[in-house]
Amino acid sequence: MTLIEFVNLLASALLLAGIYAVMSVGMTVIYGVMKIVNLAHAGFMMLGAYLALELFERFRIDPILAALLVFPVMFVVGRVLHWLLVRRLPTSDQPTLASLLLMFGLWLVLQNLGYFIWGNADRSIYTSHTLSLLRFGAVTISTVRLVVFGAAVACMVALHLILNHTWFGRSVRALIQNRYAGQIVGVDDQKTASITFGLGIGFAGLAGALLASLYSFNPDFGRPFLIRAFVIIVLGGLESVSGVAIGAFVLAFVETFGILFVPAGYQLALSYGLLVVVLIFLPGGVAALTAKVRRLA
Amino acid sequence: MSNISESSILLSVQNLEVSYGPVQVLWGVTLSVRKGHVVSIIGSNGAGKSTTLNAILGVRKVGRGQIVFKQEDIVRQPPHERVKRHMTLVPEGRQLWPKMTVEDNLLMGAFPSTLRKDAVPNLSRVYDIFPRLKERRSQLAGTLSGGEQQMCAIGRGLMAEPELLMLDEPSLGLAPKIVDEIFEFVRNISREGVTILMVAQNVNYALRISQYAYLMETGKITLDGPSEKLLADDYVQEAYLGST
Ligand SMILES: Nc1ncnc2c1ncn2[C@@H]1O[C@H](COP(=O)(O)OP(=O)(O)OP(=O)(O)O)[C@@H](O)[C@H]1O
Ligand SMILES: [Mg+2]
Repeated sequence: MTLIEFVNLLASALLLAGIYAVMSVGMTVIYGVMKIVNLAHAGFMMLGAYLALELFERFRIDPILAALLVFPVMFVVGRVLHWLLVRRLPTSDQPTLASLLLMFGLWLVLQNLGYFIWGNADRSIYTSHTLSLLRFGAVTISTVRLVVFGAAVACMVALHLILNHTWFGRSVRALIQNRYAGQIVGVDDQKTASITFGLGIGFAGLAGALLASLYSFNPDFGRPFLIRAFVIIVLGGLESVSGVAIGAFVLAFVETFGILFVPAGYQLALSYGLLVVVLIFLPGGVAALTAKVRRLA
Repeated sequence: MSNISESSILLSVQNLEVSYGPVQVLWGVTLSVRKGHVVSIIGSNGAGKSTTLNAILGVRKVGRGQIVFKQEDIVRQPPHERVKRHMTLVPEGRQLWPKMTVEDNLLMGAFPSTLRKDAVPNLSRVYDIFPRLKERRSQLAGTLSGGEQQMCAIGRGLMAEPELLMLDEPSLGLAPKIVDEIFEFVRNISREGVTILMVAQNVNYALRISQYAYLMETGKITLDGPSEKLLADDYVQEAYLGST
């Protein structure tokens, strides 16, 4: 491999990492605060993608701007669903069967809603930029990918700032680390959970809407990304946005450079393989590894 | 007459019953705390002391009974409403957030919206009481020593300007020298006018710094009185102070 090829691959790994990160962070915050594995995550990504498509086709709104508009819509959807359904689940410090079944059922409902409204044909968002490329010296990058990356990173940074510098963010971290302690100091855990659920669904929708500019989609959209989100969460842990970013980068790196060694069709197998390897050898994720290194140093 | 004595009662708990699932652990606990007093609850492991404090704050659901705080029945209020009314708990085992900084841990003590505006002055008050926390303000709480963690937990409990501060085993697992320090802090906080309800396995200490005490056994109050009376009580001496 030449250096130029390497740099190109590195660039695409980085761009992919941004997408993967924004795609996983919604699941992470929901799991962290509520210990609910959002199996319907893919369904909300799919909804986000179609919403962006509708905004683009009906109102000629730029797809990236549409993605940013999808966020508040899906935030509200999330809060309504929390109020209708999720808050009725028993609170637990471990994922419960009831929550898995609810979220899985929700995914099926969303998927079928998608088929009902939009049919099963593959759709995509095609603009004048879709095929345009940017050249930085020897590195060639798809313009849309770069813009999507930028939007993803901006949203992650915003979330990071919210989590670290606001009262709401502090309450989220508090519930993630010790729910009981949160209750003691007067965190209204139902309210924080509701907003968190809204944020998680909002980020799912946003990720789906951003991905809609890059890939074609149908109501089954998001399924392979769900598995990737699992890998990223296991890798990066649940403590922080930066953990998710690290997990996303590791996965994107492995998948991108994996192409050199395995056929492209096996990419998903690579993600799964990584999940298995991490669960066996590094159950604490990257955080455990850095802690170990620090202890040795 | 009765009005005067009533208004000097800050907290009154009547016939409190609490269960964990099908297992009832509190069987009609009745106690009251006078304004400005240090009141202690003593009793052996599993008697229900922590459960009592958790129920008073509202993080444990109460089956039956009444909790009156500042002349208001609060038994149906969620914990954040009680914290807003300046009731706080320093829980057993400290319960800090290990991956948050000391300062964020403390700030969280002023979480309810009505308390936030005074969070900054209260923070510097806590730093005055515990200068060591100020030195370690940007350190993660999980990296503090046991004594420092206890200070952080107490400091967090002070952030809501408590009128009633509940302390659950504040000396558990600490070196004797630190235990002295912690009890000295408790005494000082009390002198500043904060009413304290304290659970302590260090019965000797607890009875020496409190004015009134309750003995709890298997979910019931079996003995109560001025602390010096309990200290002199034969049964307490034998069962809890290890003298024969
Ligand atoms: N989460 C729980 N689920 C079920 N039972 C519990 C739970 N917490 C406490 N108990 C039971 O309730 C009873 C009272 O416990 P509690 O913690 O209030 O006692 P305690 O007086 O504080 O004891 P210690 O001195 O050991 O702290 C015990 O029998 C205990 O086993
Ligand atoms: Mg206890």
